[in-house]
Amino acid sequence: MKQTDTNSFSNELAISASDLGRVFQTYKKPEGFKASVAGFFNRQYEYKEALKPTTLDIKRGSIVGLVGANGAGKTTLLKLLSGLIHPTSGSARVLGHEPWRRQESYLRRMGILLGQKNQLWWDISPADSFALLGRIYGITPIDVRSRVMELAEKLQCTEQLNIQLRRLSLGERMKMEIIGSLLHRPEILFLDEPTIGLDIVAQNTIREFLMEYARAERPTIILTSHYMDDIAHLADRLLLISRGAIVYDGTVKGFMARADLKQRLKMRFEDPLSSAVTAGKGEYSIEVGATVADIAVNGNEVSAVLKDILGQTRIAELQIEQTNFEDVIHEFLASESRRR
Amino acid sequence: MSFWRRNLAAARLAWIQQFEYRFNLFVDAILQPVLTATVEVALWYAMVSGIGDGDSLGGFSRAHYLHYALWAAFVARIGANWMYEFRMGEEIQSGTINVILTRPLSFYQFYLSQFMSYKVLTSMLSLTVPAMIASFLIPGPTDLSRLPMACVLILAYLIMAYNISFIVVCGGFHLNRISSITTAKNIAIWCFTGELFPIDLAPLAVKNILLNLPFSAGVYVPVGYITGRCGADLVLRSLLMVLVWAGITGLIGQLLWSFSIKRYSGTGA
Repeated sequence: MKQTDTNSFSNELAISASDLGRVFQTYKKPEGFKASVAGFFNRQYEYKEALKPTTLDIKRGSIVGLVGANGAGKTTLLKLLSGLIHPTSGSARVLGHEPWRRQESYLRRMGILLGQKNQLWWDISPADSFALLGRIYGITPIDVRSRVMELAEKLQCTEQLNIQLRRLSLGERMKMEIIGSLLHRPEILFLDEPTIGLDIVAQNTIREFLMEYARAERPTIILTSHYMDDIAHLADRLLLISRGAIVYDGTVKGFMARADLKQRLKMRFEDPLSSAVTAGKGEYSIEVGATVADIAVNGNEVSAVLKDILGQTRIAELQIEQTNFEDVIHEFLASESRRR
Repeated sequence: MSFWRRNLAAARLAWIQQFEYRFNLFVDAILQPVLTATVEVALWYAMVSGIGDGDSLGGFSRAHYLHYALWAAFVARIGANWMYEFRMGEEIQSGTINVILTRPLSFYQFYLSQFMSYKVLTSMLSLTVPAMIASFLIPGPTDLSRLPMACVLILAYLIMAYNISFIVVCGGFHLNRISSITTAKNIAIWCFTGELFPIDLAPLAVKNILLNLPFSAGVYVPVGYITGRCGADLVLRSLLMVLVWAGITGLIGQLLWSFSIKRYSGTGA
């Protein structure tokens, strides 16, 4: 009966959380030796609501980008949904399972990649780690080898499979970690900062690999990243978290559409301006006599501003920069953080 | 089936990791116990050198003491579990335990398999040393036909020792750093095992207490059995006691785990 419930659940939603929250208790020690001695006898604890009661549904096959500043609560949410930690309030079902019960039937269906932690064994080669993982997940050695080769070829890291993990570069290690987390074809995949600390080339390789993988195998992916390009390229749903609460839930496109997008104009004039130029209801202006300008204006005001300037002088240099996703997100989260 | 496959894989991991560092394995399995045994045998040699060829101390000859010291040094190293206990504690403190918690693995089983496999590997290598010395260099009371039964007792003791380690390690969820507890616990157990001196030399009251604790199964009973200080009846009694304590400590460990894991904050991830 329970199995049937699990299946029917998994047909509709991958994740369903209701008032899910976690409070952490931490020892708060004021600075200094005296405080250390005092704290030895009388410890002051502080309770931090890392994740406020959160209600959330995520459909199967969707890719959700979880974005927030450090300490916003995104990793706590990820840890709760992957079953790493227990909640202090609320409930959640992931693929029909309560994740923190850590049932084998759940752990076999999910994969997690923690970008800041090694999950393969440090002292042995990735190939040995994958063979071990194959036995843990009950995959035959032949299937393990073919799966590893398939993923390693796509990630361009076949040469490093037999080198001790500790001797690999950060980018190579991350590729191995990705293979390790995908070996058993998880139905749900938690990716926490998969491109952290990597150079642009490695970031792009991993990003493109994940895009192709998501297209081909259609797992549900929950992704956190500080690189907004990861989110913009991969996610079809965006969750913004600030101070433990979800402050935006929608699509990336929808978020950009509602944002007050600006374009930045950088100019050098051949002659000083003879009269001031204003834009944005007087918010931005270029003063009389200016020979250079650097202003941000709304997209629909660009032509009017340029027309006004060209009426006075010729433009020797012009650069137009589109405000990007990252800037908008940062601005949004900063304003949310100030508001709360 | 999957239970055995998983745990055999973990056991294999311990061997693969050991073979990665050949010199460290040699030092750990051979050199360290040889050095310890040399020191202990030398000490006992100095102490019992006054015993004449036909004389005895506490009913045992000089050769009995030298053979006891020789085997005790090697067997005591097999029963010690500070290395895996430190490693497990470190996993909780640093958050690398996440690797196990997010996979269809049990932290208890994963390390038990590795620990037992590592002990089998190092024991196979290190026990050949006292066996060779007792057979060819220092003739005496060692009876190698008694080794298999002594090994069964040591194996049971290892499970109990691991369970005690697991209890200490669970404390890491509450206290974070437990390395000093591990050290203190190991010193306490070391005093009770009979590595320092054969328990039968202790005053009767102390001897009775030590023999009724399961820790004598770590050194005194198996070594005493191999070197002719005690008989099979004491080995069987000790085995039964160790199995009961292994069950009790295993149960306490599992209860403590269920309680402690709820406090885990997924450190470092």
